[in-house]
Amino acid sequence: MKKNKKVIIGIGAAVIAVAVIVIVVLKVVSGNLDVVGKESITSFEKVLNTIPDKVKADEMNAGWSLEAPDGSVRFIWSEDYSKSPLHDVMLEFDAAPFVNAGLDVSKLPENYAAYEGMLMVGIKLGSDEMTYQGNPTPLAAYEQIVKKYRSSINYHTALDHYGVKLGGGNMFEWAKDMAVNTATDKDQDKDIVFVLNPEPLIAAGVNPEQVEGWAYAQVPVEENGKTADVYKFLKPFNLQ
Amino acid sequence: MDSQVLSIRGMTCAACAQRIEKTVQKLSGISQATVNLASEKLFVEYDSDSLQLPAIKEAVEKIGYEVVEKTDNASVTIPIGGMTCAACAQRVEKAIKKLEGVASVSVNFATEKATVTYEPQKLRISAIKESIEKAGYKALEINKVNASDEDRVRKQREIKTLWTKFIVSAVFSLPLLYIAMVPMLKFVRLPFPAGLNPMQYPLIYALIELLLVIPVIGVGYKFYTIGYKSLIRRSPNMDSLIAIGTTAAVIYSLFNLFQIAGGDFKAVESLYFETAGVIITLILLGKSLEAVSKGRTSEAIKKLMGLAPKTAIIVEEGIEKEIPIDEVEIGDVIVVKPGAKIPVDGTVLDGHTAIDESMLTGESMPVDKKAGDAVYAASLNTTGNVRFRAEKIGSDTALAQIIKLVEDAQGSKAPIAQMADIVSGYFVPVVCIIALLAGIAWFFGTGGDIKLALTIFISVLVIACPCALGLATPTAIMVSTGKGAENGILIKGGEALETAHKINTIVFDKTGTITEGKPSVTDVLAVNGMGEEELLQLTASAEKGSEHPLGQAIVHSAEDMGMKLFNAERFESLTGRGIVTEINNQTVLAGNRKLMEEYSISLKGMEEAADRLAEEGKTPMYVALEGKLAGIVAVADVVKESSHAAIDSLHKMGIEVAMITGDNKKTATAIAKQVGIDRVLSEVLPQDKSNEVKKLQTEGRKVAMVGDGINDAPALAQADIGIAIGSGTDVAMESADIVLMRSDLMDVPTAINLSKRTIRNIKQNLFWAFGYNVVGIPIAAGLLHLLFNGPLLNPIFAAAAMSLSSVSVLTNALRLKRFKPTTKQDKGSAA
Repeated sequence: MKKNKKVIIGIGAAVIAVAVIVIVVLKVVSGNLDVVGKESITSFEKVLNTIPDKVKADEMNAGWSLEAPDGSVRFIWSEDYSKSPLHDVMLEFDAAPFVNAGLDVSKLPENYAAYEGMLMVGIKLGSDEMTYQGNPTPLAAYEQIVKKYRSSINYHTALDHYGVKLGGGNMFEWAKDMAVNTATDKDQDKDIVFVLNPEPLIAAGVNPEQVEGWAYAQVPVEENGKTADVYKFLKPFNLQ
Repeated sequence: MDSQVLSIRGMTCAACAQRIEKTVQKLSGISQATVNLASEKLFVEYDSDSLQLPAIKEAVEKIGYEVVEKTDNASVTIPIGGMTCAACAQRVEKAIKKLEGVASVSVNFATEKATVTYEPQKLRISAIKESIEKAGYKALEINKVNASDEDRVRKQREIKTLWTKFIVSAVFSLPLLYIAMVPMLKFVRLPFPAGLNPMQYPLIYALIELLLVIPVIGVGYKFYTIGYKSLIRRSPNMDSLIAIGTTAAVIYSLFNLFQIAGGDFKAVESLYFETAGVIITLILLGKSLEAVSKGRTSEAIKKLMGLAPKTAIIVEEGIEKEIPIDEVEIGDVIVVKPGAKIPVDGTVLDGHTAIDESMLTGESMPVDKKAGDAVYAASLNTTGNVRFRAEKIGSDTALAQIIKLVEDAQGSKAPIAQMADIVSGYFVPVVCIIALLAGIAWFFGTGGDIKLALTIFISVLVIACPCALGLATPTAIMVSTGKGAENGILIKGGEALETAHKINTIVFDKTGTITEGKPSVTDVLAVNGMGEEELLQLTASAEKGSEHPLGQAIVHSAEDMGMKLFNAERFESLTGRGIVTEINNQTVLAGNRKLMEEYSISLKGMEEAADRLAEEGKTPMYVALEGKLAGIVAVADVVKESSHAAIDSLHKMGIEVAMITGDNKKTATAIAKQVGIDRVLSEVLPQDKSNEVKKLQTEGRKVAMVGDGINDAPALAQADIGIAIGSGTDVAMESADIVLMRSDLMDVPTAINLSKRTIRNIKQNLFWAFGYNVVGIPIAAGLLHLLFNGPLLNPIFAAAAMSLSSVSVLTNALRLKRFKPTTKQDKGSAA
């Protein structure tokens, strides 16, 4: 009985010791071990470098924007969360296709904003003041998201896409490697994709089949390691 | 020829046992080498002129196994008083070393103890103590450990180590399995740390898996050391399969871990750390259960070993003194009080008691003992005080002989194991080849799907189980021979056990077997002027020198009647006919009809009487005086209480029962009728009994012979199975394959039943062991998937199945522990 106790105590101590070592090691090197976050910076940089003329400063939102090649939608990310007025990461897009499909903007939820024929949807990540070594750049602003709000960055294994979660099921996604963008579905075989959750729009009167310029399709979405097929409004673009 | 039993350590499966057997058999001078995987023992018979034991040990050790020579050495730790410095310890050590029979001695000054390994046949503990005292120190009360205790302790330690390893392994494998499986579950949402999400943090996830699998591999290191060593020596075993399978899983996972670190995040889906971890854990679980079950198979022997008391009370110069059992010497007078056990074999000097010998014979009724009666070690004195003289001690006692007989039987092989032995010899290499071929075939067949190919490769390796094949037969034999011993049925080997179940004819000797063997005079018919008393006195005088039970019965009857017997001037025994003697210068013949015809004695007028007596089951003995018939003395033996029920049981088992006797046909038929025997072989001369058995064998029958006398020995040897009953002679027991320690004939159907149950159990074991591999390996190789697009076997399930296969075989063998002897009420229904 005494010996069993000793064994149990020994095993328990070993487990705790291993757990402590693991936690300490992870804490120390977690930045280096987050290969997905790190690689997403490299990958996002490639996107920025591919369409430099579409990347602009967005003073109104205290950050930067990446505009779709057709100019219909922008992905905006703040460089200083203490200054961004509404959201820290967001999409801004033309309201007309949705209004024409029956949208009653007054019925949109709080994370939506409508102004001057445009709709904006996004999320406030925080209110912290960002500091930079030198002047802030679009990439440095993105790095802040990875560094401080890593959970907003998503890697979609099946499609090999990165994404920034904009809250409420909305996303901005880009191919991890545009050169080998190997997704099988031709509609998704794109380099950047603006993704909207259709549910609040449908609830606000939109007939999804009548929205022009946006594809209404089922896509596999990973959430907490689980993949599920859900409907989304998609605006994909090839950059190369 | 010398024979030796060596304990082998390091065997993990039947392939190991095969490898050792083959290696030893190759040595010149070896006539037999048998390895029992279950008892981990090697039995060797060799010509000591051309081969020495160290050479055998060296050959076994060369192929990677540890040899522990079975010796009768005992070990004793004697606390010593009076030592004041290290020099004292040296002095004591030297003093003990000088004694003959000391194998090793170590005196520890710090603990004040001397540990001595010695040969008990050559040296007594009292002598060791004496030498310590002579050296000027005090030998205190001792703590003795013998070889069997050491073996038991070692096995218990092994079991404990295995369980500890399993627990450690499980502690790390369970979280490993959890984090590996939960992200894959589609329909269930279980709590999972976000920081370990394999999609978002694949490298952290992979490293955590690696950290968790390292301790598991650590506790399972023996699979790798033994497995790869065996592989290098080109004798792969079960450990090799586990080692190759899990190494492949770990190496592939490490490769993918580097891929993840290099930016290929999809490689997170190709981690197999949990497969390796869980396989090791499950195999450790299987091994732990196997070790426990293996231990239980030899419980009967342990029980027998534990029967003997540890001390004895001897009387020295009128003073009673309690001494350790090992210090008892032949000739010592021992006192046993009620409730105490008899320490050694001997003969009662005085006192009257009833002794429970059930632990030896299975007979539940205590046996009355008085002066002159034999008592046996480990039997229980129930009522009175007795004093007896020690006659057999140590390994010579009946208990020690029984233990040896059962141990030898447990180490023997049954012919039914041959197929399993042949298969297990080739099993592991063949499985390795199948795994490799299946992996390659799936790799190319699927256009290079390395994950699938690896899954198949690992699954085939870990599902294959040579252990079950190796354990199928010996475990069942160990349990059943032990169970037999518990019930007073000593089966001398696996072959006897196997043959017994095929028996379709049993021949019983009559006198002492079917009957009590204690005949008495029932009728005295005198003629030609001879008085009945005179006839009995004459016949008894003539039979005085006879050893035949019938002759002795007549002598006892006359003596009981207070008759004075004459001395015979001449005595001649004519085998199978009777005797010729000369008393008071007159020739006296006593015997059967043949004898009378040989001497031309007219039987006129007495033949009818003789026939009538014979029909009543009595044995009529003609007596002639000076060439003239003097009368008939009839003797009858009482049929044993259990004979009828036993024969009834055998009939119900579909066995034909015959009786063999030297009696005349009518007497024999009458006895046979009483007990329900089908076939009577009467008027058979002792030397012809074996021929009668042979005749039955030429009819294509599998014959068992049951007998007790010296004259039954040839027939017992001739029969397919010789069964000697306990009240019989040493010669009969030596010639027999099965010895029944009681005289109860119900033990015959019990023995046959036990054999049938054992063989059925072995067949079930072999069926499962073969069937499991025959079905499991193709499934693991992806046959179901290939043919019917069925499921592929996850290596974890393959490992679980593999572990369970050995355990299921052992569990099935242990069912034999529930075997119950056939009773008069059953009458064979259990067959």
